[in-house]
Amino acid sequence: MGNLFLIFISAVVVNNFVLKYFLGICPFLGVSSEVKSSLNMGMAVTFVMTLTAPVVWLLSTFVLIKFKLPFLEYVTDIIVIAALVQLLEMFIKKTSRGLYRTLGIYLPLITTNCAILFSALFLVLRQYNIIQSTLFGLGSGLGFTLAIVIMAGIKEELEFADVPEALKGAPIGLLIAGLMALAFYGFVGLPSA
Amino acid sequence: MDTIVLVSILSLAGLGAFFAVILAWASKKLFVKDDPRVEKIEAALPGANCGACGSASCQLFAERLLTKEVTVNDCVPGGAKVAERLATVLGVESQAAEKKIAVVHCGAKSEEKKWRSDYRGLKSCQASTLVAGGGLSCVYGCFGYGDCAQVCPFEAIVMEDGLPRIDEKKCTGCGICVKTCPRGIISLEMGNGTHPLIVVACSSLDKGKAVRSICSVGCIACKLCEKICPELFKVEDNLARVDIRGMKEDTDWKKPLEKCPTKCIVKL
Repeated sequence: MGNLFLIFISAVVVNNFVLKYFLGICPFLGVSSEVKSSLNMGMAVTFVMTLTAPVVWLLSTFVLIKFKLPFLEYVTDIIVIAALVQLLEMFIKKTSRGLYRTLGIYLPLITTNCAILFSALFLVLRQYNIIQSTLFGLGSGLGFTLAIVIMAGIKEELEFADVPEALKGAPIGLLIAGLMALAFYGFVGLPSA
Repeated sequence: MDTIVLVSILSLAGLGAFFAVILAWASKKLFVKDDPRVEKIEAALPGANCGACGSASCQLFAERLLTKEVTVNDCVPGGAKVAERLATVLGVESQAAEKKIAVVHCGAKSEEKKWRSDYRGLKSCQASTLVAGGGLSCVYGCFGYGDCAQVCPFEAIVMEDGLPRIDEKKCTGCGICVKTCPRGIISLEMGNGTHPLIVVACSSLDKGKAVRSICSVGCIACKLCEKICPELFKVEDNLARVDIRGMKEDTDWKKPLEKCPTKCIVKL
């Protein structure tokens, strides 16, 4: 139980995907101009990550390892993610028109999000069991959401700041990302899984 | 060795087939009947998602158009062209929606602006208005900080000599600048379609003498334009106004422009 909690917390803050491993940077910088839309993006990523984790685990345990095909991991992971995103989109469109509209373009976009592929590869590398995998996926997604929402909040405040001409736009965004990563380094002191 | 190749091909193909079956089944099971007209309407819209119509996106506008919450003429940036296209998709008549463009009712360039105080805050019209109405001597005039140029979603406004210059081709008449300007000196007017666009480049309601003391290009309400061309001009509250409905084919609109002592009537 304690181990599960550790995996979750370390995925959210200590080993935050965006700020520790610098994964999923494009949405992190691109879709972070408004808190609301960044929250939607984070929700979509969390959704897909949590869902892919157990499926990837099942496939890698019962197909890839059994048939001694670990080199096919990347390909299978991509297939799983793409198929699940498709399925999810259809499902959401059918069940909740409102949510479908809110997630909008973000849902198909995250098929190519490297953070999701990485989480799928990572849980195999770390030899998690199925519960640990799911929790790891959920934690990673929430960590991504946390980072992107904080970024969006700072960027909204930045609208009123006197940013030097040369730093406007992407440069100041990268500077903020760097400072945020430094701040999150403070969590390294926590015990992590 | 051969078996590995075979097994990997088979397992990947199996995986692909497995997901294909699931997706095929799901697409049947979870099929949502979309109104085919939504897509057609969306294709006819500009797709700028500018929000000028009051809907958050063009897709939403399309859906609201079908539920009759909005009409084909409500897409402001699209103008008559889009209204016509939408009308053909829906099979209804469009009312002629003439294209409107934004015009600025102030003609004071940087060197003509007089300042009563030294404002050193945020270079923004809206911010400076909050500090005792801003530093400009004329309480009606353009500050020239360019809030309108910043908000324009179509980049149709550029600041030149302390005044916004509006690109007639790029301006879609969405009216966002009109709402943004704290002085309220931007308005939407019928563009250079059937008649030339005549604008009084001043908004001051002060008496002639007061205007003259702070601005060399303001309207001093001398009523000369009204005398020369009463069907087109009318002076009300110390400010000349243009009534474009009075414009006929033979109206001599050039003469008042020449005679205006402060040259504040301009043709765009």
